[in-house]
Amino acid sequence: MKTTNLLNQTIFLFLLIGLLAACKKDDDGASTPPDNSNEGELITTLSLTFVDTGGTHPNVTATFRDSDGGGGNTPTQFDTIRLADSTTYSVTILLLNESRTPADTISNEVLDEGDEHLFCFSPSGINLTVVNSDSDGTFGIGLQSTWTTTNASNGTVQIELKHQPGIKDGTCAPGETDVQVNFVTEIL
Amino acid sequence: MRLLNRCISTLVITLLFTVSVAAQTNCNASLSGRVIDEHDGSALFYATVYIKELERGVASDSNGNYRIEDLCEGTYTVQCSHVGCETITTQLEIKGATAHNFTPEHHAKELSAATVVGTKDRDEVRLVCPTEIIRLEEVQLTGTPLGEQLKQVNGMTTLSTGNSIAKPVLHGMHSNRLLILNNGVRLEGQQWGTEHGPEIDPFTAAEFRVITGANSVRYGPDAIAGVIQINPRPLRATPGWDGAVELAGFSNGRQGVVSARLDGQVKQLPGLSWRGQGTYKRGGNVETPNYFLKNTGSEELDFSWAARYQANQWNVEAYYSQFNTKLGVFSAAHIGNLSDLQRAFEADEPLESSEFSYDIARPWQEVEHELFKVKSTLQQGENGNLSITYARQYNRRLEYDKDEPLNDSLAALNLPELELKLTTHTGDVVWEHQWQKHLRGEMGFSALYQENTYDGRLFIPNFEKYGAGLFLLERWQSDSSRWSFGAGARLDYITQEVYLRKGNNIVSPDYSYVQPSGNLGAEYTVNERIQVVANLGTAWRPPNVSELYSNGLHHGAASVEFGDTSLVAETAYSLSLGAGYTHKKVYVRLDGYYTYFDNFIFLKPTLPPTLTIRGAFPTFRYEQVQAVLRGVDATVRLPLNNQFTLESKASLLRAWNQSTSEYLILMPADRVESSLKFVLPGKLGNGFNFISLTGERVFKQSRVPANSDFVAPPKGYNLVHFYAGFYFGAEEARMQCGLTVTNLFNTTYRDYLNRFRYYADDMGRNISLKLLIPFTFLTNHEND
Repeated sequence: MKTTNLLNQTIFLFLLIGLLAACKKDDDGASTPPDNSNEGELITTLSLTFVDTGGTHPNVTATFRDSDGGGGNTPTQFDTIRLADSTTYSVTILLLNESRTPADTISNEVLDEGDEHLFCFSPSGINLTVVNSDSDGTFGIGLQSTWTTTNASNGTVQIELKHQPGIKDGTCAPGETDVQVNFVTEIL
Repeated sequence: MRLLNRCISTLVITLLFTVSVAAQTNCNASLSGRVIDEHDGSALFYATVYIKELERGVASDSNGNYRIEDLCEGTYTVQCSHVGCETITTQLEIKGATAHNFTPEHHAKELSAATVVGTKDRDEVRLVCPTEIIRLEEVQLTGTPLGEQLKQVNGMTTLSTGNSIAKPVLHGMHSNRLLILNNGVRLEGQQWGTEHGPEIDPFTAAEFRVITGANSVRYGPDAIAGVIQINPRPLRATPGWDGAVELAGFSNGRQGVVSARLDGQVKQLPGLSWRGQGTYKRGGNVETPNYFLKNTGSEELDFSWAARYQANQWNVEAYYSQFNTKLGVFSAAHIGNLSDLQRAFEADEPLESSEFSYDIARPWQEVEHELFKVKSTLQQGENGNLSITYARQYNRRLEYDKDEPLNDSLAALNLPELELKLTTHTGDVVWEHQWQKHLRGEMGFSALYQENTYDGRLFIPNFEKYGAGLFLLERWQSDSSRWSFGAGARLDYITQEVYLRKGNNIVSPDYSYVQPSGNLGAEYTVNERIQVVANLGTAWRPPNVSELYSNGLHHGAASVEFGDTSLVAETAYSLSLGAGYTHKKVYVRLDGYYTYFDNFIFLKPTLPPTLTIRGAFPTFRYEQVQAVLRGVDATVRLPLNNQFTLESKASLLRAWNQSTSEYLILMPADRVESSLKFVLPGKLGNGFNFISLTGERVFKQSRVPANSDFVAPPKGYNLVHFYAGFYFGAEEARMQCGLTVTNLFNTTYRDYLNRFRYYADDMGRNISLKLLIPFTFLTNHEND
């Protein structure tokens, strides 16, 4: 009787062992690497469109494009911004992920989460002022902005996108930097 | 009078022996039995059983069994010795198949690490290498990460990422240069990552063994700095049950740990032993002297079981362990670009402040590691043991970035931004043999298959790896000689096939390596007190796939890293010398090492910086140079009187890049440590109870290459720690209690080898209380 009990216990023990050792299986083999469709989000392209509010000067566009993201190949396009003097431009920012086909419009997502994002513009050595012209209800976002030039000059404008979830206070200080591009800018 | 007695008895025994040999020539007798721990009945492996008159000895196997055959009947002087135990000398009459068990008694329990310079004590068939063993008295099982506990070994430091990830560093080497053997199996995880800690529950271990010096011969590639063996307590060798519960609480991070184990041997089925074990750990945000670190909580759940069946001449054992952890990554250390890094560094306090919380939010990582092992050993007595081992490891690592994807549908899935899965199968066949009385050895074959897959962001590509190795090592040792020698050779073949997408096609370049390695060692016993060891060894490692294929932004490190597919294998040639002096309770040990690297792989800062949409980042490329790592570790233990013991340690390292004549980056700074231990006198003390104070000085690392880091290394620091250990109750069921205060004065400091040094101070004071409560059910309490 005792022996049967023991046998049962032993069988139970081994079943338990088998159960505990039931190893997890890999679904995909190494030989089929995933395509990049499930890769995390990437911002590859920042594009600025300048429209003269007076309607005198032609539209201007300037683009920074690094199609394969950070690392990899160097940026394929990095334009100089060339603006007319004593002019007020209405500026729209477009952010794209062009590593996918079709490209994702990241700026739409930024607009959706406007209360967590802020564009900051820092002109340097140049006669230019920039103010955000859109709003998340409390603070500006910067997807739309107004650029006012005065005299001809050469310098740079740094454009930053800050991610400020729950900590947005209208200033550029808090948060993590998602975009930081320093455009060479000329006022002609 | 006593002397006379002893003389007479020796004479009588000798006479009897001579007579018995003369009278009968029955030389088919044997002596066999088991070597068992006096306290808990567990098997003592690698104990030496030695017949003095015949100069014959064997070592007990992993189950504590020993057997000496072809003995002539008679009375012999038999010695049993085991590291950390008193040597037993006894007169045995051997007649026919004689059985005798030994139960050596431990030396007065030392709470510090047991150390041996060479390998003589253990009769282990290893090469002669400087070795240090930490036998974990349970009070030391602190619930801190494995890397932290290994710091007891002089020369060992940690490369940490905040408080919860601590990679062991030996003589400035870590990751793929320091091999970890978990229960005899090569730990195969995502070891290449500096922010990936070893996936092991320290509560499964009964001892850590650190073998220093290049030593690829026995365990294959990666053993460049040495080998860390994490050995579990042997399973029960006698029928019955035993077990223990361990509890620990920590003030900093308000962490709690509970671990329990239950061991048994089935009475009705002698030879069947088993164990179940589990650990749960939970902690919240840790605190520096001035602020909390946001999102630094952690949670860990581990369990393991083991079973062994011991038959007459063979045994089979199975082991399974699972390790699961979820670690918060300090939020303020996750940065977007260099400007963020600069701002974080210039701020007095982290830019993201926090209160205490147990919650783990983004960014976090989750790691799971499984090990399943089956080992079968055929015990052939003096012909040696033949063992076959198969092991499977599965490692799954998930990394969640700080921010959810902007895209709502992606965010809703809440997928990790990076998922890596690594499956490894290893097989080993080893024959432990004895050619003649003084020459023992091991030879064997090992094989490995590994597969890595990823999902999410491409960080390292998919790959498959195949490896095979053939080795032989021998050791000559005789009690009549002061010398002992070891030598070994090995040949390895490794091939890695990498799978990449190029447009719509999959390309699969492969990289193969064939490499020999060798080892020579000698040990010389000058006298009873002084022992000297020298070891010359080579070790190597193939470049890992991240070194071949990294290509992109490394978040958190704020750098762009480029791999190089033309990298070749890295080879190290190392000379280690050790000398030890032991007399009464005075202990002095000095170890020196010199390692020359051919094709040392490291990340070299290069110009120009890489321009990305997040701004410019410093660029690092994997390069290979000739390098030399050399250093000295020294330990002195001096009893001042019966109560006080002073122990001092020093560890120095110089790491030099010969190709460009500059120092190597990220090497541990010089350090010294002194502790004063006070064993409580009289009844209060039990002989064990103690308190101790330790002062630690870590110097500033001023030996760094120019222009290779964002900020200069932090200044040196001094810390003071307090320890106390108390034992209660009877010897066989002794409850143990430990009180520890690390960083007693709540000093503000930053360590050069903490990756978060840019963002925040190191941890402040941490008070912990640990309890070990054994429960022993004796055989006669079992319900029959």
